Order: sequence, then C-alpha cells, then structure tokens
Amino acid sequence: MSGLRMNEIVHSFGDVTVLNGVNFHVQPGEVHALLGMNGAGKSTLMNILAGVLQPTSGTIDIDGKTHTFFSPKDAKRAGIGHVVQEVDAALFPALSVYENVLAEHIVAQKQPLFSKTKQRSFVAQLLARVGLEHVSLDAPVQACTLHEKQLILLARVLSSSARYIILDEPTASLSDEETNRLFTMIEQLKAQGVAFIYISHKLHEIKRMCDRMTILRDGAVVYEGDVSLATEDIVRHMVGRQADARQKHHREISGETLFEVKQLYIPKTKTTVDLTVRRGEIVGIAGIVGAGKTELAESIIAAVETTGERIVRGKKQAWSSPKDAIEAGVCLIPEERRKQGLFMNETVEKNLTVRLLSNVSTWQWIRKRDERALATSLISSLRIRPSSPTALAKNLSGGNQQKVVIGKWLQTNSDVFIFDEPTKGIDVHAKEEVFAMIRSLADEGKAIIYLTSECQELLHIADTIYVMVDGRFIKRVKACETTYEQLVHHMSGGE
Amino acid sequence: MKFLYKYGTIVAIVAVTAFFSATLDSFLTYANFSDILRSISIVTLVAVGMTFSFIVDGFDLSVGSTASLATIASASALVLHRQELLVALLVPLLLGVLVGLCNAFLTIQLRLPDLLATLAVMYIVNGIQLTYTKGFSIYNDMPLPEGGVAPGKFIPSFLFIGQGELFGIPFSVLLMLIVVVCAHLFLTYTKAGRMFYMTGENREAARLTGIPVNRYRAYAYMISGAFAALGGIVLASRIGTGQVSAGAPLLMDAVAAAFIGFSVFGAGKPNVIGTLLGAMFIGVLLNGLTMMNVPYYAQDIVKGAILIFALALSHIVKK
Repeated sequence: MSGLRMNEIVHSFGDVTVLNGVNFHVQPGEVHALLGMNGAGKSTLMNILAGVLQPTSGTIDIDGKTHTFFSPKDAKRAGIGHVVQEVDAALFPALSVYENVLAEHIVAQKQPLFSKTKQRSFVAQLLARVGLEHVSLDAPVQACTLHEKQLILLARVLSSSARYIILDEPTASLSDEETNRLFTMIEQLKAQGVAFIYISHKLHEIKRMCDRMTILRDGAVVYEGDVSLATEDIVRHMVGRQADARQKHHREISGETLFEVKQLYIPKTKTTVDLTVRRGEIVGIAGIVGAGKTELAESIIAAVETTGERIVRGKKQAWSSPKDAIEAGVCLIPEERRKQGLFMNETVEKNLTVRLLSNVSTWQWIRKRDERALATSLISSLRIRPSSPTALAKNLSGGNQQKVVIGKWLQTNSDVFIFDEPTKGIDVHAKEEVFAMIRSLADEGKAIIYLTSECQELLHIADTIYVMVDGRFIKRVKACETTYEQLVHHMSGGE
Repeated sequence: MKFLYKYGTIVAIVAVTAFFSATLDSFLTYANFSDILRSISIVTLVAVGMTFSFIVDGFDLSVGSTASLATIASASALVLHRQELLVALLVPLLLGVLVGLCNAFLTIQLRLPDLLATLAVMYIVNGIQLTYTKGFSIYNDMPLPEGGVAPGKFIPSFLFIGQGELFGIPFSVLLMLIVVVCAHLFLTYTKAGRMFYMTGENREAARLTGIPVNRYRAYAYMISGAFAALGGIVLASRIGTGQVSAGAPLLMDAVAAAFIGFSVFGAGKPNVIGTLLGAMFIGVLLNGLTMMNVPYYAQDIVKGAILIFALALSHIVKK
C-alpha cells in the first residue's frame, strides 16, 4: 500500500466531536486538495497529521507502515511537512535565510559541530529546488517578501526530506504572478515525487493545480475524487443541504447616503475600493480570511496610512488618525477585541465611559456619581453579566466583552459603525444579542458596515453584500436576492 | 496571598518601624521622623514623575541625571549669575521639561525602546552637567578660574525650600504632600488622568478609541522631567551647594518606590499614593539601617533586594 492513509480518524474536544471517522488518502506525487467550510474539521485533521494533535482513535499509514505521532517531531521524521498559513510565525525574522532554512536540520542533528561550507551548499541546493537561487544566503529573512518567506519555509520542510507537504492557504496573500511561480514550483517538486495537500478556498486554483480532492463537511468526508466536478457541485458538497433554512427578512432602505469612500487605498493588498452606505442600511462585506477585510476597516478609519476620499453626510473629510474619524462619527469595533478593543485590566465602567467622559465631567473633573449612573444604565440596557460596574473587563466572557466594546460607542455621536468579525469566539446566545444590537442601531438610522467570513451571518443581517477577494470588491448583491451557495462561490473567487 | 499583596507594603512599613523602634532608642523621635520625611521628600518628587512615565507604559531612566542637572542649574543661576529666586526655579524646571521632550522625541517619533533611549539620554544629561561645571561643585564664595570669587550666593528664600519649616513641619515635606495629593486627584478624578491610564493599559485600543496616545506619552515624559528637576531644586536647596551628580542615586530609589507602589492596596498599576508609601518604606528602612551602623555602600544591596521583592510580588499575583 503506497501513499499516505489516514484511517477512521476520530477526534473530540471534550463533548464535541470534530472529526467523525475520516478516511483521507494521498497518493505519492499528487497534489490533493482539502476543502471545507470554516469548522468542517480541516485544521484539526491537518494538525493530527502534523503531530500537533493526537487523534481520539484512528491510524496513520505511510507507505504501508503504521505510525503514531506523539509530537510534530515524529511527524517530521515520518516525512510530513507543514507550511503554515502565517509564515511569519514560523520564521526567525532577524536571522539569515541560511539559518532559517536549516533551523530544523540543526535542531535534529546529533553532533555539536558542523561544517559551514557543507551546510551552505546544502542550503543553496534546497533554495534552488524551490526556485530561490537569486536570494542571498546571508540576507535577513525580514527583508524578504511574503512569497519568498513562504518558499524559505518550503525549503526548510524539504531539508528534512518531507514527502507529504501540507500547504495551508498558500496563495492567500500572493499576487497573480507569485501564485504562478508557486505553481511552477509545485509542479517541479511533484515530478520529484513529493505529494502536496493543498488547502484553499479558491476553487479555480484547485481546479487548475490539483489532481484529486477531498471535501469535508461537519467532520466527515462527503466527497473524494476528481477535481473536474462542477463548481456548483463542489459548493453544494461543502455547504450541504441544510443551509438557507431561515426566512430572509427584507428591509426597505430609503435613507440618504450617509457615508461614502472613493478610491480608498488599502496598503496591505495594494488595491483601491469604493463603498457607499445609506442611513439605516447594513452593508455586509464578505471575504475569506486574508481577503483584506480587516485592512479595509483600518484604512477606512485612518488607522493606517492611506489615500482616498471619505465623505460623511455629504462632507469631504481629511483624516489622519482614528481620532479624526471618530470625531466625524465613524467608529470601528475591531476584530481582536482583547488586543484592540478593551482595556483588560480596567473596570467595565471605565471601558464603557471612555468616550463619554465629557458628558459626566465639569471642566476636566469627572463626576464619579454621574459616571457610575451612566455605566450602570449601559450595563443594564446591554444586559452585561456580571452586572457590576467594577468588574474587570478581563474577567468577562467573550460575549459580554464584545457588548462592552460595542457599548462604549452607543451614546456617542457615532453615525457609522464598522463591525469587524463581531461574533468571533462568542456563543450562540451572545451572537443573537449582538445581532439585535446591530439591527436596532440600523433602525435608529445609523449606517452599519459588517465585515465577516461567515456568509450565513450576512444573509441573516445584511441588506447589501459586497464580496471581497484579494482586496477588491468583485460583486455587489442585495442580500434578499442571493443564496448561501452563490456567496460561497463568489468568495472562492468565482464571478 | 491576596491579603499580603494588598496590604503587604503597609504591613512591611509598620513592621520595619516597630522593629527599629524596639531596637533603637533614638529611632522613634520627632526629630528622626522629620529627618526621614525630609530625606524621602526628594525621592518622592522624582518618583511621582516616574510614576507618570510608568502609567503610560514607558520608562524614564534619565530622572537621576535630570535632577543633577537641575541642581547645578539652580546653583549656577544663584551663585555664578546672581539671579533671584524665580530664575533659580524656572531655569531648572524648563531644562527638566526639555529633557522630557527629548525622551518623548526618541521614544515616540523615532520609536526607540524607552529603556535604551532614556539610558542614552541619562548619560548625555549627566555629561552635560559635568562638562558645564568641569566636574567641580558650585558653592558660596567659590573661587573663579578667571580670578576673584563667585558674585552670588544661595539666597535665604531659595534655601527655605529644602531647609525651612512651616508650622513646625519641614517645607520640603509639605511640598511633597501637596504634590502627591494634587497628582493623585489629577490622575483619579480628571479626564486627562484617565486618558494617561488608558494609554498605558492598551495603546492600540486607546488609539482606536480616539485617544491621542502619542500626545499623552509625550506629556508623561515632560511631567517626569519636570518632577525630576523639582527634586533636583529641593536637593540643591537642602545641601546648599550645587554638587555634581548629586541626583544619580535618586534613580534607583525612585524606581523602587514606584514599583513597590504598584502593589499598595492591590492597585496592580502605578499610582502616586503607592509611590509615596513605597518611598516611605525605603526611607524608614535606610534610616534604621544607618542608625544600626550598616555602611551606606551596603545599602545598595538592600535597595536592590527590595526592588526584586516588589517585582516578584506583582508578578506572582498577576499569574
């Protein structure tokens, strides 16, 4: 039996079964796509293969030999390589290309001394295999482009003679030309007998690059076979039949245009976008992880240096910092609420009143009693638990923390609310509460921009949906006129 | 453990005081206590400024040499240039603010790590005051290199700051108390005070909330410089000479006082009341040790140990 076989893999986190008897088979020298929606179990399966997680039950056979991986080291020794999506997390930025490529090799080798000449020629060979001949061995990795970093990581994986390499969303932030170069690279390595497991949301790339594919849904394999399947069928396999059960409500938007951006430049993706939001409208922006949603949000409120026009209530704005945006009535509820939204070691009260201190102070002096009254009223109207204003923000659950982050803007003069993945990591109940808050803001006549990778949420809450791919809007649709399948299709790069 | 963290500093002050009172006859006297307070007043002034830099999540190592510079500046104004009180106060304060601006520029505009930037500034400022004095102290009737003696002297109104008494309480102690109370009220009850804390607590969140974080960080360094200069002025007035590098030992004492202050009443963050108590703790301890004939050079060991203990305590509780 040749090839890589994962047999009947079961994995549970506590009571939740994430993988339910998955059979996954990769032949030597093929590029095998692994598809599935968020939460289908792709990452868990790959973490098991890379030795990061241990399965509850099931076996892994490589070329007929059964292996048990207790650690990533075991997996590497058996020939599994993993090129992670966040390449920066796996590299040493200040060290040279040469040292980064050899990182694993040096750790693995037994003898304390090594010949620098031999190692350098070894690294040069590896770099040549991944098409990086032009990169200097002594250049620091932080000076390399993202594409080069990815290939450096690939070279490192090859240094331990890996024969099955996991590529996790490798083209998420690559330009078309870089993507082409990566594909040429994969073709060459394939010819040398290396097999790839290719994880991506971009269906056209999969059709172009991969030999076979496996589709996961809810922790089980729903399709294994040829990639020539029609795109609609692929999406149908990924999504399943249960979607779209909820009746879509239709809201009539008649308000005037409240907020507009024209030719706004997003530095990270080097693209420009236009966007219009009307009073009372909830504009959803759909895009997979890495599509540039967060970068768009940060560009809108001038948290990064950018160019372009922003118009609030018909008035052109010149913003140089988030402070200017906020004073003009545009606020951001950021994705990383612990890092960017909350003062974790401060009380709920201080978190809630930070923008409202002028309302409760005389000159500069804070009237503590009024501040307490303000905080208490916000806490009770938002149903924040625990309801004590002196509880520390870090001691709240994710959902309650999110309510605090949103709550601090509610009584300000903000007219435009930008929500970046507001339901990330919060439970179903808190999600409904957040939706209710957003809807009531819209009903009050605020303008909402809602960025997420969860299509279901957008169909549920948005009026208009822009689909974002690689920093560009490729589609603008009315939420009531589209379906889940169509959205997933567009987000995967399909027109 | 919680109790120890919350009230540990106060318990320690009481315990140390009780111990010295029991073992030393002359410890528990009005004269000695007034002495302790007088000696901590300078440290506290410097440490309050440092607390501001801690609040915005910065670190100002240059306070010691800024205090030295201020000492020399006020002495020079009085003795070498025959200036009156106002100039002898304003010039050093202005210099302190200038050093703070310099620190702010390096850490905020050039984004250098605060520890390293202020370390460099500490050396530069120290070098400036040494170069200016050529290494000699400035005192009344000092001979001048070009012949004759210095024209001015330490005027009584200046000496009053460090040596005078009001209602039987040393003026420097009153000054310290006024500064501590004002700083405490400012930080706890005003909008700007809140912004300082928010900036230090989470700079990115503060920025996205519309707080001009860089402005508050710059203010903090300027306040730190000004308070260090104030400490230097009181020091000059107390010893009645402009001694070179007189402020250098203040740095360690101020850092220790502010860090001990983190834990007072379980605040878990820099606060001026805590800083005052931290300074008192160090003051009582050093005074007692001196009276027990522990040589001054061994006292650095004690200070270092106290700082480690304070840091460890706040670290353990955080976990």
